[in-house]
Amino acid sequence: MIKCPVCQAEHPENTLFCDECGSYLQEGNQKETDPLAAAEVTWMEREETLEVSGEEVVSPVSLKLSIPDSGREVELPLTKEVNIGRLDPASASFPDIDLTSDGGLEKGVSRRHAKITRRGNEVFIEDLGSINGTFLNRKKLTPYLPQVLKSGDELQLGKLILRVSFQ
Amino acid sequence: MQVEKDYYAILGLSKTATAEEIKKAYRHLVRRYHPDAGADEKEAAHFREIQEAYDVLGDPEQREAYDRWREMEGLGQKPALILKATPSYQTLPCLSEEQVFYVLLEIMSSPEIKGKRPLLNLCLVLDRSTSMQGERLQKAKEAAMYIIDRLSEDDTFSLVVFSDRAETLLSGRRRLNKAMAKSVVSTIGSWGGTEILQGLLAGLNEIEKCRLPNSINHLILLTDGQTYGDEVGCLEQAELARQRQISITTLGLGTDWNDELLDQIAARSGGTSAYIDSPAKIIEVFRDRIHSLGSVLARELTLTLRLGKEVKVREVFRVSPYITRLEEREGVFPLGPLESHKGDVFLIDMLIPPHPAGQHRLVRAEVVGDIPALGRQKERTWQEITVNFTEGPIPDQQVPSAIVGALGKLAIFKMQEKALNDLQRGETDLATQRLEAMATRLINIGEIELARAALLEAGRIAKTGQLSPEGKKKIKYGTRSLSILPREVRHD
Repeated sequence: MIKCPVCQAEHPENTLFCDECGSYLQEGNQKETDPLAAAEVTWMEREETLEVSGEEVVSPVSLKLSIPDSGREVELPLTKEVNIGRLDPASASFPDIDLTSDGGLEKGVSRRHAKITRRGNEVFIEDLGSINGTFLNRKKLTPYLPQVLKSGDELQLGKLILRVSFQ
Repeated sequence: MQVEKDYYAILGLSKTATAEEIKKAYRHLVRRYHPDAGADEKEAAHFREIQEAYDVLGDPEQREAYDRWREMEGLGQKPALILKATPSYQTLPCLSEEQVFYVLLEIMSSPEIKGKRPLLNLCLVLDRSTSMQGERLQKAKEAAMYIIDRLSEDDTFSLVVFSDRAETLLSGRRRLNKAMAKSVVSTIGSWGGTEILQGLLAGLNEIEKCRLPNSINHLILLTDGQTYGDEVGCLEQAELARQRQISITTLGLGTDWNDELLDQIAARSGGTSAYIDSPAKIIEVFRDRIHSLGSVLARELTLTLRLGKEVKVREVFRVSPYITRLEEREGVFPLGPLESHKGDVFLIDMLIPPHPAGQHRLVRAEVVGDIPALGRQKERTWQEITVNFTEGPIPDQQVPSAIVGALGKLAIFKMQEKALNDLQRGETDLATQRLEAMATRLINIGEIELARAALLEAGRIAKTGQLSPEGKKKIKYGTRSLSILPREVRHD
């Protein structure tokens, strides 16, 4: 028997969800984003300077994100909106770019953190009300207010850095 | 034995037919084509073929030789249905108590039957009672004309309107004169009360008249009112409809209709029910239905679960394209038609008793159905789930995200069911708590609008002890359609 930590209802072993209160019952699956201490989350100064490529890409078709911390690069077409966050099936979060394996949870990335969309020739970044915020080239974004994103920009989600380029 | 002849096709069967099904199909055909029944030359030849097919397939030894030979020559039938089964775990611990085990089943059609649109035998049954007056009837008429425009030459269409009694405005026929049909629709006026049984009877009668061997027989019922005193009759007709391979879609408009009754009529016939909150959406719902019906790939699907020793099935749900609880009837779960190329998804929740270490088969899931586009009946496919039980440490294994995602939404669906039950028993405090907890879960998964409706109703119960009819329907039909799984996890 296992006991639901929220409502104390009892269920047989290996039950995944409590159908009394809807809680997820698997242990070790604490996937809530912890707010990092307020003073902690600012634009993090780094030694290297930004390499802003001068050339404007006309009507970008695909997006490349490089994650220096993990050395991972992700490339996605810009035909639909690109959601960035952490995969958590229990709360139906299925982002297009899952930052779990890049240390997303520890670095304060929310399950639904930000999204990138293309409108015409311009690409926008929008913070989705994330707990620890999204920064674009040192500036913290106002939640739900899309900002223009350019090739060569640097994003910081919580404390995780992403480099943006378009093809 | 002539190996180049497809004896299965001659008997209208799938290669996976059982001996019993072969015998039944043969008897049925013989009665129809027997020379004594006044058959002509062509039919007599066909009768000889049927006889030849049965001589081979009716004899297990000859059938096996025929199958093997066909296989070698590359003439064998390709399967039309594909079944994929995903278990929650590959390895289970040996416990001294029962444990829960989930299997996600996906039923898809094979690529070879895609693109073939089946023939429709469709009847539209519209409520014309006084309450439909105005925008409701106007939009219903527009939606009816929309359907008429989308019919193909060979589809059969009929139209019934009802109030206290039913009137067949367009009798079932093929090669419909669309301009004439639309002018008939435009003359519908409103009067009288609502007696659903009258409309159902007239509509089912039209469909029965026009059925063809491989047509998709379907009735769409649109109503905005309560029916009085004929509920039992309606349910009997729904049951009869299923036996005659007619499925029913029930659509409730506005808030003053009996959701339990419409749900049950649809469920018993193997169809679906839906809630339309505003007349402007009628056309949208009709469009979805006609699109789904036009893509029926398999019908009369049934699921049989053959369980390992002492394994128990607790619940079976359809989780996509919408959530419904499935009921077992005479040992099988009727699944109705398979309407989408994307396939339908089901979830089986099982209780596993203590097992000794080793490999054990827990369940064999078998799906049987007819494939109208290929003229095959009783196509059969199955999957077995075998699990390794171990005394030792369990390897690190993740429950597949498709299963977790489906269960998360099912949990919300079940909370909604329980809240409605609490309320019926007069347990208003429990119902309020449950709706509030449900709202939290809904916010977590980003269903803000539904969460708001749940909170609003929770507040209403706390004050008045009752749900608003509108809120009840919103929550019930809203949680049901939570099922659409995200694209990313639909198929590997």
